[in-house]
Amino acid sequence: MYGATVEPIEDIRTDAEKLAGFEARIARGEKIEPGDWMPDEYRRQLIRMISQHAHSEVVGMLPEGAFITRAPNLRRKLILIAKVQDEAGHGQYLYHAAETLGATREEMLDALLSGKAKYSSIFNYPTLSWADMGAIGWLVDGAAILNQTMLARCSYGPYARAMVRICAEENFHRRQGQDIVITLALGTPEQKAMMQDSINRWWWPTLMMFGPHDTDSSNSAVLIRWGIKTKTNDELRQAFVDQTAPELMALGLTIPDPDLHYDAATEHWHFGEINWDEFWNVVKGNGPCNAERMTARRQAHEDGLWVREAMAAYTEKYQS
Amino acid sequence: MTDTHTRDTQWLRYMVLHQEREDKPHQHAGTVHAPDAEMALLNARDVFVRRPECVSLWVVRADLIFTCTQEELALHPDWIESLQPSGNPVEKYYFFAKLTQKGQFTHIGEVEAQNPTHALKIALQAYPDTHGFAWWVFPVKAVLKSTPDDIAVMFGPAAVKDFRDQANFHALSVLRKLMRKQEVEESHES
Amino acid sequence: MNPESKQALIDYLITMADDELILGHRNSEWCGHAPILEEDIAFANIALDEIGHAIVWYELAADLQGEEREAYANHMVYFRDVRDYRNTQLVELPKGDWAFTMLRQYLFDQFEMMRLEKLAQSSYAPFAEAATKIRTEEIYHLRHTQAWARRLGLGTEESHRRMQAALNDLWPYALALCEPSNRAELLTQGGYIPDSRALKTAWLEQVTAYLGEVGLAIPTDSSNLPLSRTHHTEHLGQLLSDLQQVARLDPMAKW
Ligand SMILES: [Fe+2]
Ligand SMILES: [Fe+2]
Ligand SMILES: [Fe+2]
Repeated sequence: MYGATVEPIEDIRTDAEKLAGFEARIARGEKIEPGDWMPDEYRRQLIRMISQHAHSEVVGMLPEGAFITRAPNLRRKLILIAKVQDEAGHGQYLYHAAETLGATREEMLDALLSGKAKYSSIFNYPTLSWADMGAIGWLVDGAAILNQTMLARCSYGPYARAMVRICAEENFHRRQGQDIVITLALGTPEQKAMMQDSINRWWWPTLMMFGPHDTDSSNSAVLIRWGIKTKTNDELRQAFVDQTAPELMALGLTIPDPDLHYDAATEHWHFGEINWDEFWNVVKGNGPCNAERMTARRQAHEDGLWVREAMAAYTEKYQS
Repeated sequence: MTDTHTRDTQWLRYMVLHQEREDKPHQHAGTVHAPDAEMALLNARDVFVRRPECVSLWVVRADLIFTCTQEELALHPDWIESLQPSGNPVEKYYFFAKLTQKGQFTHIGEVEAQNPTHALKIALQAYPDTHGFAWWVFPVKAVLKSTPDDIAVMFGPAAVKDFRDQANFHALSVLRKLMRKQEVEESHES
Repeated sequence: MNPESKQALIDYLITMADDELILGHRNSEWCGHAPILEEDIAFANIALDEIGHAIVWYELAADLQGEEREAYANHMVYFRDVRDYRNTQLVELPKGDWAFTMLRQYLFDQFEMMRLEKLAQSSYAPFAEAATKIRTEEIYHLRHTQAWARRLGLGTEESHRRMQAALNDLWPYALALCEPSNRAELLTQGGYIPDSRALKTAWLEQVTAYLGEVGLAIPTDSSNLPLSRTHHTEHLGQLLSDLQQVARLDPMAKW
């Protein structure tokens, strides 16, 4: 409820009745809207997930943003600016979705900048070559699309609608990434080597993006029960490998996993075990670029403080 | 760490309502943060019209929107009946509804009323066929709108930014060709 | 068109293209670092527009020489050295703080806007056509930068101080923007481009009035730097080494 101008309607049901009603609505595939009753835990999980997702989009601008000035031709330059710009848009749409649950952007940004909130670990890896723009677009955005397509069907209306908008744009991100990978993989030997090096660095961190095994994921069950997630981390990860591995191999690229092979019996690509020590290490803030990313975000936030203040002050002086 | 939170302002929230074509109603797009309505309209263009199509944008302070859902209404079937005009001067309100589960809030019409709840009551009576699942009402005078003159200037440029269009990447067809070739080779080998 | 005019027109197009390219490049550096998320997006749009305008001008220059458009534009951007760039120093200066960036963009947009209005009547039809198209985008830029300049000029003491400092720094460079290019006279006589003196007068009048309105004073004692388009600051070299780094790894390769 946005308008504080009227008395909120009082809900006289017992908590058990409310919960039963809520779960029945989820079971019927209805969307929960701001103003509808929801369990505190549903609200809490959503704010955590959505704001984390928003932070990921915003921090995610940095690794690719670093190559905007270096894009190798004008077309690629326009595409990369537009791509990084879209990620800002995604952060913007997602903060909005979290705001409908009562979180403010000031609070959420503070949580990010003070290190309380998490964001996707993938953005704590460095971009070292132009080929990384291809790998990120194809692998990282590709992985994100699988997750986001699922979330576009989630039970919370504003989150689902933000996702629909985001998914439409993500396809452009993945496509431009594929375009770079294909160009380099089929280009000169040096370009192909550059591309291979990039795949070597991004493959495993991308698989980690889907999160811990379902058995080790503390939130999975409740998220699935309430229709926030409809697929498990491992299901999504498998879908990603099944789709991506054969495509990369068709380009003559090697995937840095000696255990990777097609299993005719399961009709899935079998892949090796993820290095979970590395995963948790990066989550805990010890990845190669955690400090740089946070420094960059804090810098932008603090440099912008006088700007935001001045704009608000002008409104106060001249428009109220 | 930082004390920026206490000092920080991310400005006000404005709802953005977006019209794709003249023959379609305005629909909710999202929000923008802006210090005032004029900046909100500019920001709305940059945030929500990076791709065509758009012929009109409206922005309205989010805290001026009165919202109500079907669930809230169902809890108190007699609540809507009990709503009375407040004796304030009559003004025009926009009425938006979410018509399908998956849908977006959509412009249904206008009503004249003395306050937001009264406006909701009248709107639900005036548009009995378009109830849907949740509603917004807000004063017409609270809305800042783009003008027809803005179409070329604000929304035209998105149409020529074809580098954002995923249809312009031919990677996939190259990839498919490669994969088909490989399949043929493999079937020859076996 | 006689060969002399044609060459002069090509040179003129290159100065315009280089200005827009370098400014767009500088603006793109904000993407991910702007003062608020909405502005990451809005300012990236301005960067995209300016680079887009650069491409339009490079391509017109390509047409005049019978060159392939895309290849020519890329060649001009990625394989020319500092001494061959013809942008003004105004656009190559580092992005500075938000006041500096916004004010530079305003001064440039206002100039570009007034020039485009005249160019829309150029006797060289492709020129007039392109100017008409680009103008719609510039109207929007100007709306954006004016709105920002007003608020920052009048917002807080700090924002006012930063804006005035930016204006003091930018002013001599901005004036150089209006200096006529090589053989501009010839092009003006042919009706291809507007008269640079008249343009400068009109621009001065406009920006002096607007900046005054938002509480900023044009510096009166600013030095007259010898700013010509054949001379650059050290910043351009640094900018280009970044810009051209990947493309020059293999000039023959497709990226
Ligand atoms: Fe994204
Ligand atoms: Fe993306
Ligand atoms: Fe321009």
